[in-house]
Amino acid sequence: MEINKIIESGLMETYVMGIATEEEVQKVLSLKKEFPAFKDALEQLEYDIEVLAQSMSIEPPAGTLAKIEHEINEIQRRNQAVQTAEPESRHDKNDQEDKQERYIEVESESNQMRVNKAWKWVFIAVFVLGKVFLASAIYFYLENRQAQEQIKELKIELKQKIR
Amino acid sequence: MFKAVLNIPSAEPKDIRWFYDQYAPMLLGYINGIVQDHQKSEDQLVSILTSFVKDVVLQEKSKLNIWLELRQYAQSKLTLFTAKDHHLKPNQFVNQGKLDLLDDLQKQIFCAVYYHGKSIPYLAAKMDSDENEIRNQLKLSIDKMRRVSGN
Repeated sequence: MEINKIIESGLMETYVMGIATEEEVQKVLSLKKEFPAFKDALEQLEYDIEVLAQSMSIEPPAGTLAKIEHEINEIQRRNQAVQTAEPESRHDKNDQEDKQERYIEVESESNQMRVNKAWKWVFIAVFVLGKVFLASAIYFYLENRQAQEQIKELKIELKQKIR
Repeated sequence: MFKAVLNIPSAEPKDIRWFYDQYAPMLLGYINGIVQDHQKSEDQLVSILTSFVKDVVLQEKSKLNIWLELRQYAQSKLTLFTAKDHHLKPNQFVNQGKLDLLDDLQKQIFCAVYYHGKSIPYLAAKMDSDENEIRNQLKLSIDKMRRVSGN
């Protein structure tokens, strides 16, 4: 029979070992739906692979389960904290906008930041321009003060001449 | 006996202890076959089981056979170890189990596929052989080990 040939072809083994191509995976899934004999053979093979893995198993050291449970509980606690925070923030849109403005999402846990080296020249240019603007501001401030004083003196002179 | 095959958990699907008892020893044996270092394997076991429980078990996303999915998940998390060019020599750190039943060629092919996820075309090219021959040897090796289990 055709289905027996397919069962014996090694297609199921490739699928169960996780190295089937996408085309082979689709073929296995459609055969599984169409032919109960194929479905039974595939499930039996999956079970046998599990038995094989059991024969090669190694007992984990004591305390491993506690570590895993602890980590999962931590994750769940964090998720719950996020979930309870979410509905509160929905009450007030403005609050949410404010939060977005106040907090910046950072992808990494590290407090270090990586910046492209090209930005070095931009930072240098900004620094130099900053210095130039500062010097100009001081220069024009002094110029302006001097000019104001001269104007005052001229006004006094003019008043004295008029008298 | 078919409980595992049919993916019917004996306890709640979210029962981590049940999941751990069922799969942690198998997974540690599998990881050790890839990583080849007991301490690193135990560290990886904690990390992989935690993320698998979080991503798949608690979300009840699993559609495949759990062991098949867990094995593929572990393989995807261990790409640092599986991505390197496979030397096709039987692994001395592996708990051999039924692997002793296989001849050298079958053991090479089975370990390369099972632990390192190497494809049939890759192995055919690497071993200078025909793809059908590799596929056939893989099937023969699995059949040999299944026969011993009485299937």
